Formats: sequence, C-alpha cells, structure tokens
Amino acid sequence: MQYPNTHPNDATQMTQSLSNQEFQDGDPESILEVRDLDVIFDMDRGESRVLDGVSFDVHRDEMLGIVGESGSGKSMFASALLNAVVDPGRAGGEVIYDDPDAGPVDVLSLSEDQLESFRWEEVAMVFQGAMSSFNPTMKIDEHFEETIQAHGKPMDERMAHARDLLADLYLDPDRVLGSYPHELSGGMKQRALIALSLVLDPEVLVMDEPTAALDLLMQRSIMNLLDTLQAEYDLTIVFITHDLPLVAGLADRLAVMYAFEFVEYGPSEAVIRDAAHPYTRALLKSVPSVDAALEDMNPIEGESPDPVDTPAGCSYHPRCPLADEQCVAEDPDYHDVGEGRGAACFHWERSSEAVDYELGVDPVVPDEPSRAAHGDEETVISLEDLEVHFDQSGFIDRLFDQDATVRAVDGVDLEIAENEVVALVGESGCGKTTLGKTAIGLQEPTVGTVRYRGHDVWEAKRGEGEIDHDRIRRALQIVHQDPGSSLNPTRTVRTSLAAPLKRWRPDLNSSDRETVVHNLLERVGMKPAEDYALRFPHQLSGGEKQRVVLLRALLMSPDLILADEAVSALDVSLRVEMMELMLSLQELFDTSYLFISHDFANARYLAEKSGGRIGIMYLGNLVEIGPAEEIIHDPKHPYTKVLRWATPPLDPDAAREARETEPPIREIDIPDPTDPPSGCPFHTRCPEAREVCREREPELMGSEGEASLAACFREDDDHAYWESDPIVEESTLENTS
Amino acid sequence: MSEYLGRARKGVAAAFGFLAGFDYYWRKIGHAFVTLISVTTITFVLFRLMPGNPAQAMRAQFEAQLEGSGQAADPEILDQMVQVHTGFDPSQPIYMQYFEYVRDIVLYQDFGQSIQYGDPVFDILFRAMPWSVFISVYGLALGYSTNILLGAAMAYKEGSRFDGTMTVVATFLNSIPYYVGALLFLAFFAHDLGWFPSGGRYDTSIEAGLNPAFMASIVHHGALPIMSSFIVGFGGGALAMRGNSVRILGADYLRVARLRGIGSVRIATRYVARNAILPLYTQMMIGIAAVFSSSVVLEYIFTYPGVGWYTFDAINMRDYPLLMGSFLFFTIVTLVGILLAEFTYGIVDPRAGSGGENESY
Repeated sequence: MQYPNTHPNDATQMTQSLSNQEFQDGDPESILEVRDLDVIFDMDRGESRVLDGVSFDVHRDEMLGIVGESGSGKSMFASALLNAVVDPGRAGGEVIYDDPDAGPVDVLSLSEDQLESFRWEEVAMVFQGAMSSFNPTMKIDEHFEETIQAHGKPMDERMAHARDLLADLYLDPDRVLGSYPHELSGGMKQRALIALSLVLDPEVLVMDEPTAALDLLMQRSIMNLLDTLQAEYDLTIVFITHDLPLVAGLADRLAVMYAFEFVEYGPSEAVIRDAAHPYTRALLKSVPSVDAALEDMNPIEGESPDPVDTPAGCSYHPRCPLADEQCVAEDPDYHDVGEGRGAACFHWERSSEAVDYELGVDPVVPDEPSRAAHGDEETVISLEDLEVHFDQSGFIDRLFDQDATVRAVDGVDLEIAENEVVALVGESGCGKTTLGKTAIGLQEPTVGTVRYRGHDVWEAKRGEGEIDHDRIRRALQIVHQDPGSSLNPTRTVRTSLAAPLKRWRPDLNSSDRETVVHNLLERVGMKPAEDYALRFPHQLSGGEKQRVVLLRALLMSPDLILADEAVSALDVSLRVEMMELMLSLQELFDTSYLFISHDFANARYLAEKSGGRIGIMYLGNLVEIGPAEEIIHDPKHPYTKVLRWATPPLDPDAAREARETEPPIREIDIPDPTDPPSGCPFHTRCPEAREVCREREPELMGSEGEASLAACFREDDDHAYWESDPIVEESTLENTS
Repeated sequence: MSEYLGRARKGVAAAFGFLAGFDYYWRKIGHAFVTLISVTTITFVLFRLMPGNPAQAMRAQFEAQLEGSGQAADPEILDQMVQVHTGFDPSQPIYMQYFEYVRDIVLYQDFGQSIQYGDPVFDILFRAMPWSVFISVYGLALGYSTNILLGAAMAYKEGSRFDGTMTVVATFLNSIPYYVGALLFLAFFAHDLGWFPSGGRYDTSIEAGLNPAFMASIVHHGALPIMSSFIVGFGGGALAMRGNSVRILGADYLRVARLRGIGSVRIATRYVARNAILPLYTQMMIGIAAVFSSSVVLEYIFTYPGVGWYTFDAINMRDYPLLMGSFLFFTIVTLVGILLAEFTYGIVDPRAGSGGENESY
C-alpha cells in the first residue's frame, strides 16, 4: 500500500514549525479537516478541557491509527468527528468534511436534521462495547432495517448489501440476521456491528477501540478483515486504540495522542521506526510486545495530566527527560520531522538520544533453560488428570440423552514448583480460569486430584486429610482481574491490608501491623505510605488498587497466587510496571504465580523474565507447555502458532510479513464447547489437520532436545498422521453448521 | 401397513420432540401444580383441625335444631345431614374426607354447598367471578399504564421540577393503603358529591343485557372500586419505571441508535420503553395476586358482590365450604398470573430463553 501524499514540503521549511496558514489551505487529499477543535466539560472543580485545540487532517482512503492511553482524549476526538460529543460536553472549532458530491461542510455547524443524514451516510462509527451496542430486545436484522428506513434508502438493495458485508466478515448472513444480540458471541457481534456501520456505504468509518473487549485472535482477524473491507469499499478508516502494536502494522498513518492533543503524526512505519516525540518513544518502550527485548521494556515515569489542570507549555514536560525552560513556558507547534510527519516537540532532534528503543531484537534463545529447569524445587501444587465439567442439561435433555455438559477442563496434568511462574494463555472460554480456580481449591474437580505438597486438597476440605485445610487455604491465594470490585469500598487500605495480618500473625500488635503495612506500601511505590494507608479504594487509581490487592494476597504468605488476568484491566503503559512489581514481590515473599492471560505479550513478559513456563489452553486441554522462550520463539503446536500470529510484532518488517501471511487458521470462531470436536479438539480450525486428527486425540509429547511438550501428532515423526489425508476444506464460511 | 406405522412413529417422535422443546414450560406447570396441591391440602387440613371446625359447628347446629323441634338426635342422621351440606362424611378418617373432596372437585366440579345460601359453591363463585375480574383487571391495567407513562415522562425530564414533584406524589400515593383510599372515595364521591353509587354492581332497574344503558351502569358502579384498586398498583411502579428508564437512557445502544438516525418515536417506544418495562413485567403479573386479595376488603367496602365480597361474607358467617372454594379460587388466579408471566417473559425479553441457558463459566 502506498502512503497518500501529504503537504508539499519546502526544503527550507524542514525545521521550521508548520504554520497554521498551511493547515488552512484545503488539501484535496483530505476528507476530514479538523481545525482548533476543543471539547470542554464544565465540572464542579473547573472546566475540563478534554480536547485542546486539535488541528488534524484525515486523508481520503487511508487507515489512520490514533493511539493514546486511556483518558488522553482520543474517544472525544472520535465523537467530535461526528459532532456526537455527549452532553454536557461542548465541541468548538471546525470539523470540515469534504463531501465528494456536495463540497465541504462544517460538521459542527450542521443542523440536527442535516446531522441525522450526515451520520451513517457519510461518516459512521463503531464503538468499543459491541456487547451493548445492540438493542437486546431486537433481532439483528431489525437494526439493519430500521437504519435503512430512517435514512430512506431502498430496502432490498441495502439489505442485499448488508448480506454481502456480513459474508465478507465471515459470518453466515441468514443466521446472524435472524438472531438476537445475546445469541451471538462477542466477536460475531463486533463484526455484525461493523457491517451495520457500513450498510449505508459511508465514506469514513470511525472506530473507537472496536476490538478492546475481544480475544487477541479475534482482534487480529477483525483487523485483517478491515484491511480487505477498506480496499473493497473505498473506505477511510480512523482506528482509535490504546494498543500500539495492534494498529502499527495495518495503519497507513499513525497519530499519537497525549494530554488531549496530538503530539506526533506521520506514516506508520516511519513513526514506529524512529519516533520523534519523546512521549511516543517512551510509549513504544513501555508496551509489552512479543518481539522486543525484555530489558528494553520500561514504564513511563509519572502520570498523565488531569484535564482540568493541564501543565502550561508542553503538556509532556513534567515527564520528559528533555524538558527545559522553553518547554515549561511555550506550547510547541508541530515541527516537520520528515516526509508527512510532525511532532510537537522543540527538541525532537535529540529525542532519539534521550529515549532509546529498539524494535524486533532477534531473540537469543539460551542453550540451557534458565530457572525453568528446576527439579530441586519442591512441587507446590500438582494436578493429576484433572477434569471439570459443568452440566447444563435439563431434565428432559437427560431423558432424551442429550448431553449438554461443558467440559471446561478436560484432562489436564500440571505441576507447579516453588517460586515458579506458570502462565496460562488461551482464548476466552478455553477453561483457563476454571483450571486456575481448581488449582487453588476454589472449584471442585469432577475427575482427578489436586494436591498441595502431596496432600489431596479436597480430602483435606472434607476433614479426611492429614493436613489442616486452613493451611491449604492460606497457601493458595487469588488476585482478580478487576481490582475495583475485589476491595471492600468501605474499608481503608490499611484496614484491608491489616486483616490478613490479624488473622495469621497474632504475635503482632496493632502498631507492628501498621509498620508492616506502611513498609509494604512504600515498597510498592505508594508514597507517602501514611497518606495512602488512610485512603479508601475509590481514592486510588486502577494500578494502585491492583497493587493493594496483590499485597493483600501476599500478606497471607501464600505458596501460590492465582493471578487471573491481573494486569488486563490496566493501561498498557502500566502493565509492565505491575508485572515488574509482581516479580520483585515474588522474590520477597517466596511465592509461585499461576498467571492467566489472554494476551501472549503479557504472559511472555512475566514468564520469560522469571524463567517460568507458558501453557497454552484450548477447549479445556493443555495443548502445549514449556519454557517461555521456546513457546514464544519456537512454537510447536499449530494453535500456539495461531496465537503467536495473533500477537502483532512492533517491528514494521515483521508486521508487514505477518500481515501478508494468511492467518494460520481455517475458522475464526471457537466451536461450541457443549459439543467439542472429536479427536484433536483443534482439528476443526487447524490448517495442518489430517483425517487421523478427527479420530484420535494426541497426548502431550516432547521432541528431542526440547523442553516443551505439545499435544500434536506432528511432534512424532513416525506417527500415522504423516500417511493420513489432509482434511478437505468443506466450506469457506464458518458458522454454517 | 408398515408405511403407515412408520409415519405414525415419526409423528409420535415429532410430538415428543415438540413437547420436549417446551421442557421449561412443563417444569413451570409442574411447579404450579405442586403449589396448588399443597395449598389445597394445607387449607383443607387447617379447616378440619381448627377447634370448632365446620363439620362440628354444623353438626352442633343441626343438633340444636333437631332438639329444638323435639326430635332425638340420631348421630347417623346428623352425619348424613352434615355430609349433604358440606360434601364430606364427618365419621370418615380425614384422609378419606380429603380424597373425596378432591375427587368431587376434579370429577364433578363439586366444591360442596354453601351453608348460608344453600347453593353449590361453584355456582356462587362462578357467577361472582366476572365482576371481580372486571374491577381487578381494569384497576391493574389502569395502574400500570399510568405507572409506565408517568415513569417514562419523569425519566425523560430527569431532575426537573416535574420529576421532583411527581416523585413526592408517587411516594405519597404508594404509602396510602388502598382501603383508606377506598373509604375516602366512598365518603367523598359517593356520599358528599353523590357522583357514584355507594354499592351494587349495576342498576337493578335497568334491564340486564347488551344495551348501552346497562353497560353504562356497570361502568358507573365499577368506577370507585376500580379507582381504589388502581391505587394498589400505583406509585411504586412509577418510581421503578423511572429508575429503569434513566438507566436505559444511558445505555450504549441508545447512543448508537441516535447516531444511526433512528427517529425519536421509535427510540422512545422500541428502545427505551420496551427495555425499561422488562423488570416491571414480572412484578405486574405477581401484582395480579395482590389486586385480587385486596378485592376481599374493597368489594366489601363498596358492597360489590364479587368473589371478594363472598369471601368476606363467608368468613363472617362461618360458611366454610364457600370460604374453602374462594381460597382455591385465589390460589388458582395467582398461580395462573405467575405462569402467564413466566411463559410470556420469553416473548417480552428474548434473553430470558428457557432459563439459565446463558450461564457463563
């Protein structure tokens, strides 16, 4: 794909700031021209300026990626493009839409009626929450029909178009249109929503975090589909996300948002390779990715500014290593930093020295697995032939012999040693959380045993074991995904943290406990500890809450902590910091982690840094497990390869390569868990599947010289698999069954 | 022949499959049936075990009568007389009495005979039932439509003076017991102003039939009871509807619908009202029971001879067979209301499905 032409540049202008005048010249390449856009909310404590004088052009037929942390104003920018800022927000400035038929119009000064036809016919929008973007009491087709009707378009023609769109998005039009929203999975709903936004053939599609709630694999598949759609329907796509690697490989241009304005923009590859703004560089460094060197990942110091009280001058100066008096005094204009690029920084030429980052460092796979090769460490938890079933069938189902049992965990063996980190990765619904809960004794297994240091946990719970159940309960702790709901809102941080001490350390008196709590708070960077100790959960940020939850679990001196998506709710730039903290506390408290994540990059960071293992789960089975380096850099199981493909690399070359390769998967959606496929559970989606995979289920097996195990016949060179016929593609559409 | 058999077999299989598809409904009907049996049994046993139970009371009454007329009280004759009037034989063990009572109901729709009126209980209740249904259903329908409209309007004008005032009014009305309202209505509209009659179901001077004057008199007589049972269903519902609507107005799908250019009428009806009514729906169906039970007192206040009036009368007159019959009537009405709510909820809210289907794991 070719980068659209941008402003003509004079050589003399290279280092000068781009004048406002130049922006004002209508650019024939631009479809949306944003000028001095402000969005203001009046709040009790002052005026909250969530977009601050933004001027920006969106080019025709491009895919523009807008990247920023939560609260940077990127969603406001999206809403303002449609003049759809929610009350009581007010948008000021200009958003000029260059209508191909009628000429330029200012979207912000359109009347209500004009807006009604402008939206969806010219510019359409897809929101983050596909789950809640459909009326739960209306079928999907009614949503399409009412939209077409409201805009007075020919029904049959548009509905035929809708069917084409759905088919393009790998959905079965008949089934999807006849369903209620709750009958579709999250990924299907999101794709149906994309089809709904394109039904009137808009010129521009604005997408606000459209994939944030989805699994990586689904995100990646949708991104690939978007690429196809864009070419097929001549779309301009504005894609807003917090996830830089996701959009980096696909977008033509990137714009980075910080503190309610764009700090840098330019062709995506140029921005990724050599970002000019110190913030972009720091952001690139802080994002967990699968291909960057671990030593290179660092969190950004400090916090994002408050919209009521944005720092004077350059809004990034309090966190910037290059900041000087000029940055404090003046707000920098865009400096031309290359072909079609701009960065709002006075010192952009020196940014590469100040903040150094590297992309796609070739991994050095250590010859000997580091700490993973334990053996001398005692096993804390061992799971033997574990199965957990959830029966969903009713009385009549049983009468008619209809099996509606979900095998959430279907025969898993796993051992976790002292001080080990095991990361479980898989799509939602693969049973990883159930497995985790079973491992710490919260869920009773249907078949198999859970042993804590050799003692059966459930026997102990029934009082039949030799070991006191309280000891086991104390040794196995959990940290949930949502820190907000796991802290009692009416208790201060100190009360929450002192509770486990009171229970398990009766030798400490209340002032001792306070000292312990304060020391710990300081240790996790919550300073001043005296102040933080007296706060209530609502006075803490998400990252701080998660730290308190982690500390609370650690104060029980557990042997194993189940961290269920413990960093997923945090902002991207905070994740590395949180995982770093988890690792340093692991050494302090001498504990093991069972880390559950749907994000390969997070799992890789935690497991690889601690020399731990990564386990890949699919439909209740552990399909591959082994040292993190091996799983990441040399995946064996085809499903691991799929997940690896779905985790986009940051390096533009690798990203382009990944983008050009076909997804190594035959179907996008997971099979129905109540009716799992026979034989190898993955054979319905596996590109390598052969007839034998339909009939027989592979066991975990290793190959020579490798520490990892994979449940795939391809690992065995003499297996009947190699003589078997490949499974012939039955149809190109999934969901048809 | 074999072809015929095959087709029959297929038909039976299809019928089974069809019925099995309604598993949820069968289960609910089963629950209702169990409840009905338990209620019947418990009321029957309670009446029988009460000190001075109906059979004994009646027996004593007949004994006194016979002695009064100078006859010797033959226990067998007394038993027979009691059996004729109540439908059961007091000399039999209680489980046999119960069995015969239920058998008579199921096979002959025989609920026994009213002591006071001498008519079969079934006939009395069957005649009174339409009148009770008339005032209850209208009161309920009126109450809930007002609730929904008022609640929606309050949500739409959230925070306005209208909203504030109506919240106070709804809370106030909600806290007035319906019988107090009924007495005030009676005193004010019937006695002071004389706009409405103070009792009766229709004007007896008009010829009964499908003529406008008779219809008008029914409405005229029913107005005050309906207004009073309206109060029963009013108030709390409006506040609940307001809360639901406010929540729906903030939903993402509403914002998306507005952006898609969907008309405001469609948004108000298909999006806001439809979704806000859902939680009210079950409450409304169960409310039917409250309205019917309130009719016991209401109909008595307005001297409106419906099922409620006969019930109250039966309590006063110790007319146990009639009382037992009307208890059964109330139980059945409540159960049918709940069943209706359960069965139709799947239509109103497609997510409800057949219960527990969307459980996450």
